[in-house]
Amino acid sequence: MSTFDVELTVNGMARQGSVEARRTLADFLREDLGLTGTHLGCEHGVCGACTVIVDGAPARSCLMLAVQANGAEVRTIEGLAADGELNPLQQAMWDSHGFQCGFCTPGFLMQITALLEETPSPTEAEIREALSGNICRCTGYESIVNGVLRAAGRDVPSAEPAH
Amino acid sequence: MQNIAERYTGASVKRSEDPRILTGSGLYIDDVRLPGMLHAAFVRSPFAHARITRVDAGEARQAPGVVLVMTGAELEETIVPGPGLAGMFAGGAPVAAFSQLATDKVRLVGDPVVLVVAESRYLAEDACELVEVDYEELPAVMTAEAALDPSSPPIFEDLGGNVLVRTPVATFGDVDGAFARADRVVRARLSQHRHQNVPMECRGVVCDYDPGSEELTVYSATQGVHVSRMIMSGLLGIPVEKIRVIAGDIGGSFGLKIGGAREDIACAAAARKLGRPVRWIEDRSEHLAAAGQAREESFDVEAAVTDAGEILGLKVKMTTDTGSYPGMGAMLSEMVKGMIPGPYKIGALSFESTAIVTNKATYVAYRGPWASETWVRERLVDLIARELGLEPLDVRLLNVVTRDEPPLEMVTGRSLAGVTSRESLERIAEMVGLEDFRRRQEEARAAGRYLGLGVATYIEAAPGPLGPNESGGIMGPEQLRLRLEDDGSVTVFTSQMPHGQSHQTTIAQIAADEFGVPFDRVKVVVGDTDLVPMGFGTGGSRAATMAGGASLHGARELKAKVADVASHLFEASPEDIEIADGAVSVRGVPAKAIPLGEVAQAARQPGRLPPELAGDIEVNTAFNGGRGGWSGGTHAAVVEVDPDTGLVRVERYLVAEDCGALINPAIVEGQVRGGVAQGIGAVLLERSAYDPESGQYLSSTFMDYLLPTAVEIPRIEIEHLETVPLDDDVNFRGVGEGGMIIAPPTVCNAIEDALAPFGARVTEQHLPPTRILELIGTIEPD
Repeated sequence: MSTFDVELTVNGMARQGSVEARRTLADFLREDLGLTGTHLGCEHGVCGACTVIVDGAPARSCLMLAVQANGAEVRTIEGLAADGELNPLQQAMWDSHGFQCGFCTPGFLMQITALLEETPSPTEAEIREALSGNICRCTGYESIVNGVLRAAGRDVPSAEPAH
Repeated sequence: MQNIAERYTGASVKRSEDPRILTGSGLYIDDVRLPGMLHAAFVRSPFAHARITRVDAGEARQAPGVVLVMTGAELEETIVPGPGLAGMFAGGAPVAAFSQLATDKVRLVGDPVVLVVAESRYLAEDACELVEVDYEELPAVMTAEAALDPSSPPIFEDLGGNVLVRTPVATFGDVDGAFARADRVVRARLSQHRHQNVPMECRGVVCDYDPGSEELTVYSATQGVHVSRMIMSGLLGIPVEKIRVIAGDIGGSFGLKIGGAREDIACAAAARKLGRPVRWIEDRSEHLAAAGQAREESFDVEAAVTDAGEILGLKVKMTTDTGSYPGMGAMLSEMVKGMIPGPYKIGALSFESTAIVTNKATYVAYRGPWASETWVRERLVDLIARELGLEPLDVRLLNVVTRDEPPLEMVTGRSLAGVTSRESLERIAEMVGLEDFRRRQEEARAAGRYLGLGVATYIEAAPGPLGPNESGGIMGPEQLRLRLEDDGSVTVFTSQMPHGQSHQTTIAQIAADEFGVPFDRVKVVVGDTDLVPMGFGTGGSRAATMAGGASLHGARELKAKVADVASHLFEASPEDIEIADGAVSVRGVPAKAIPLGEVAQAARQPGRLPPELAGDIEVNTAFNGGRGGWSGGTHAAVVEVDPDTGLVRVERYLVAEDCGALINPAIVEGQVRGGVAQGIGAVLLERSAYDPESGQYLSSTFMDYLLPTAVEIPRIEIEHLETVPLDDDVNFRGVGEGGMIIAPPTVCNAIEDALAPFGARVTEQHLPPTRILELIGTIEPD
């Protein structure tokens, strides 16, 4: 099967590869670039675990082909913590006990990152609406919503104090 | 470093798991990379029930990148025949003979038939398309009624029919007397629909066989590495000692991932044949169709009641649809039988059960597998209240036991020591504001809006009260190994296999407090048969008591050993040795304290200690569960039903719970909320749907199998009740399953309450909009 060269920026670094046309962006990131932080939960675009940010907008990397990302700027969960320090969203999620098993986490963090870049101080209703395309099976969502509120500097209803 | 709480135990300490999870550096099964690794895919059955007449893999074997194709017959040549996983959970029922890949016939849509191993998953799937399998279709057995019909074609010939096991009527108390004394008998046929665990990570395995040493290493997403190893050893004919099972981060399971699945065995056999690592990562459609499903049970119940609402006795007939390839379904009825009286003064019970096989996915454990006892009982209480025109909460308060007053045990014999059900019912009434709600409900109805309140209560044996010689462990006592390291930190090795439960945090909290070191100086090692002690792994909400207790007692033993060693170094009595802030000293002489790490190092220096103390400072502990105790509570839901669309909105959800002493409130509340979300999903959205005629599976994507999202699940208001300690030290109780056990009846009760003006009676657990409209009478039932 013939292959195509792709060149893109991933978390600020120039990356390249040679892929079959059918290779998904998710597989390219995970298998070819070794960035396994992006997870695959359904591979049909519903669960949102594979969400990455492509040219500033959240995208399902399971539904996008690597060749479609040629020339794009892609951000993944591995790019969030600068110099080994958790970024404010990651810190807020840690403080909020945001996640449990962690499998949906990369998709949520990237979806939330995109949300907060567009709407820095969302209401709870806006947060829930923005996250309605990401499935978490562990938490019942409240701790994730609290994490977003905390990251946005908003009040968290009846939250446990963090230790 | 963490802020030092007075005690870590009982505080919402931030999870030690989170830094890796939040940065994308967890190691899940799909992240395992080994040199030379190959990729597996399975050819699966498109039919529910069919005879295999021909398998031709010739073209697939020649396809690009294909390294191995194994048919069912070829695989069986390398397998030691036996029941494998099915035998472990048979619960006394007969175990049908079957092969790891289908050979003679297929028994469900998605049944694995041929294994293809190739250089990439893409190429493996390409080659699957080239495998030709000819089938001769058989009638699909898709309902309990069909399975109970003696003329239905047997799915497993050696069972002689599709009835797996029928247990005779068991009676407790004076059943005839109870029904004779009753003012009336309330009858219902209640059914729980088939739905499933759906962890966000599907199943997976990477198998690596070393032909030189004849050792198999299995990287697995499993709830218990030792159980996985036992199953694989038996079926592969490899001694247990020559198998190492390793598990990393696991993306959820909820009872499903026990390891040693049929696909796992096939991959291990392929790795052994090839001498190269073989990886299989299940995709979502495989998962939804074939990984396992749960909960499909129906009940014919009769309740002998007085006009005042007193429940005198129950007659229960249970039928479990265990699907194909028997899993744990057959053992459920015993658990349901023992628990069905719950915390109520029900003085008589008769119980009989039947388990049948059908052409559906295997019945697997799902978060509180026996939950139907709670659903049936709590649904029935509301049906009784409705028939008698009573407030359901009042019927519960009339029937619930009062602690320390007779009866002290259920009619089935379980002790009710320490049960706080009455307190939780009273508390939930205050939390929800019962009288205010009834007023608001009346006003809303007058305005054409349908609000409903549902209340339900449960207790869970997590582990339940224990006598002096009883064990709360599934496989005996919970073992734990603890070692003092040269840097003064403590390493704890546990057979618990967390997959979201945060055990690396909670076990460390307890050990840190008991041993006397900061939380971040305790490291909890999980998931490696070469390292962790023998044990079942994580399941049955046992970790809080069993592993929490083992951590407490183990840390205490480690401390005593450090004191013994230090007493020689200081030439002091062990009773005078103190451990504080990472240092060891003689009481009253803090200036001469030495760091813990130096004690660990000194213990290995020649001649410093008597031989019986010399060497690593390490202890192995085994904990039976102490005196145990009940976990449980009462939940309430306020819903609004839109009579035009049938949509249900959960307006409020409230929890008054008692899981003993809290180890970490934020983690407890996360477990409660997650379980409740699954329960809400079960009632409003989720169903593993099959075509009743063809047996085709209809829910193989997330567009068909609907899961709750952030817009369906409300904030959940939780209060923790003061618990009744039964043990001197260990009163932590399991909380993982409770939310999923109690949310379905809570939501069903609320919906029936909302639809009371329509005279609706809810007898099925699944209440999607179409069913709501049927209950209202807008549309005709199917």
